[in-house]
Amino acid sequence: MAEWLFHLCEQIEATSLGVFVRESLWGFPILVAIHIITLVFSVGIVVWLDLRLLGVSMTGVPVSRVYRRLMPLAFVGFAIMVVTGMTLLTGFATSAYKNPYFRVKLIALLAAGINAFVYHTNVERRISLWDRSPLPPAAARMAGLISILAWTTVILAGRMMSYTLYTP
Amino acid sequence: MTSLADFFARVEHSTMAETVRDSTVVTGMLSGLHLIGLTLIVGSSLVSLAAIAGLIVSDQPVAEITRATRRATLFGFIVSLATGLLLVSFRLAMSTASRAFQVKLSLILVAILFHYFVFAPAARGQQSVLPPRLAGAVAFLLWLSVVLAGCAFILFE
Repeated sequence: MAEWLFHLCEQIEATSLGVFVRESLWGFPILVAIHIITLVFSVGIVVWLDLRLLGVSMTGVPVSRVYRRLMPLAFVGFAIMVVTGMTLLTGFATSAYKNPYFRVKLIALLAAGINAFVYHTNVERRISLWDRSPLPPAAARMAGLISILAWTTVILAGRMMSYTLYTP
Repeated sequence: MTSLADFFARVEHSTMAETVRDSTVVTGMLSGLHLIGLTLIVGSSLVSLAAIAGLIVSDQPVAEITRATRRATLFGFIVSLATGLLLVSFRLAMSTASRAFQVKLSLILVAILFHYFVFAPAARGQQSVLPPRLAGAVAFLLWLSVVLAGCAFILFE
């Protein structure tokens, strides 16, 4: 374990925000509820873009249209999810640092981010060639599959984390 | 009442319930799968609403989309029901006494009835007591409320 990182976590926990998250009566439950609601909302939308990329659903609708119409809603949810997640983290940074499921969750989030970046910078560049195709090319299908797997892992690891966070 | 208490005790002491109770990994994974099921339901109802409102397709019938979202909703419901039953199996008496759990069960019942008797006919273009967009919005909010009640249950149990 990197000692400096653990000390940083201790300092984060000692901030007034960290203390508020841990000790306030309603702060923690309200933050958790918003975090879960926005996760369900955003991932629930992203899955449908992924299914379109896989050629499983909405095959009669151009991929760009599905993206344009659904993803702005998902982005709003993601933004709130990240803010509430990071706020929650300030209250339990050292426990999260030691928790293996938190690391799995971070890796899965990173995988989802890299996958989205690769999709936008490479696969989507040639979208005019396959936008209306019921079955997008292998690279687009792979992006959809990786996204579903990454977000599934994020949810599973997130729930595992909440069940093991206080275990010494 | 005694027979119900006996039934709860029998379920709580069943091998399956004790397996779930004694394993953090099993409980955590079931909880994760439960949330994935709910994610599918909420996402599907939102996409249905977007389709009915003409946000996804404006020049084609929405039947293909709403058929797919209905299947996904059913799949999500089966996953969340199965995992939910296992998750409460070892604390059945406590769960049923919880106000948050009672609210969650009531909302699930209302959401199911609304889905099949109001939203589904409206989405298919059949006669319904509510216009399609309003029915879609209510269905989405009902399922979102189920998730919120679930949050209250896990946070205040």
